[in-house]
Amino acid sequence: MYAFLVIFFAAAGFGFYLYNKKPADVRKLSANYELSAASLLEDFNKDEKAATLKYLEKVIAVTGKVADIKVDASGQATVFLDSGDPLAGVTCSFYDEEAKSLAGVQKGSTVTIKGNCTGKLMDVVLNKCSINK
Amino acid sequence: MKKLFFAISALLLIHTSFAQKRYFTKTGTVSFQAGTALEDIDGTNKSTTTVFDASSGQIEFSLLVKGFEFKSALMQEHFNENYMESDKYPKSIFKGKITNIDKVNFQKEGNYPVTVKGTLELHGVTKDVETNGTFKVAGEGVESVAEFVVTLEDYKIAIPGVVKDKISKTAKIKVNCNYAVLK
Repeated sequence: MYAFLVIFFAAAGFGFYLYNKKPADVRKLSANYELSAASLLEDFNKDEKAATLKYLEKVIAVTGKVADIKVDASGQATVFLDSGDPLAGVTCSFYDEEAKSLAGVQKGSTVTIKGNCTGKLMDVVLNKCSINK
Repeated sequence: MKKLFFAISALLLIHTSFAQKRYFTKTGTVSFQAGTALEDIDGTNKSTTTVFDASSGQIEFSLLVKGFEFKSALMQEHFNENYMESDKYPKSIFKGKITNIDKVNFQKEGNYPVTVKGTLELHGVTKDVETNGTFKVAGEGVESVAEFVVTLEDYKIAIPGVVKDKISKTAKIKVNCNYAVLK
């Protein structure tokens, strides 16, 4: 009987844990892939399906030149990395709390940004980004 | 005199064709709410790419379904795997037209009500959507705000019986984009 109760509470506890579990904090995960913005984009341009299979929902540390930084009124920050292609780059949407870490980042400087790959529209898009120091 | 008139109208014509502008952003926000009184279910996508033409009123949005962020890991998993099947249908696209774009003066700051008509592709199904929104002209930029409701059944998104009290049959979609002139 006790054993049954223990199992019951363990199962209930596990269910409760799963129910309340927050999405993984990408900042704390180590990168599955480390590469340049140019090679990430090249992989998608060569074969979007294969690249999507490979990179989707993976943590990527991408290095590139900052083409632009946009912080909007609500504090949402996005960094655009240059890939050498004028029409496509890498869009990195930052965690809201990470916006302040961009204060010292200049356009044209080279940075490494870690984030979760969500696929490609015009740009390859990463969300939940933070800057690698 | 006639010549002068033609010259002036030609100049005006050139002027208006130069005034044709496109506005663009890659950081539009699209969020949805599909919860009920029992549970809040909402997700936000902050990397929506969208463009509109200030003269024709053509407008387009595209987003990556995997880019929606949730407060719960399980919610995100169910959203992607069970409801949106985002591996199969990775993108959602809206293509349409602002029917009263001529009422918006992009030279003059202020709020302008707009009506948008178009088609929304979601979960592999394309349906007509019409809604009202606001264009807020401020300086060189335009902020767009709109809200509309989609019925999940229309897009063949099935909700299992066990959770049908927690998930709404409709989703309220909110759009908020800060456009800049496309150079």
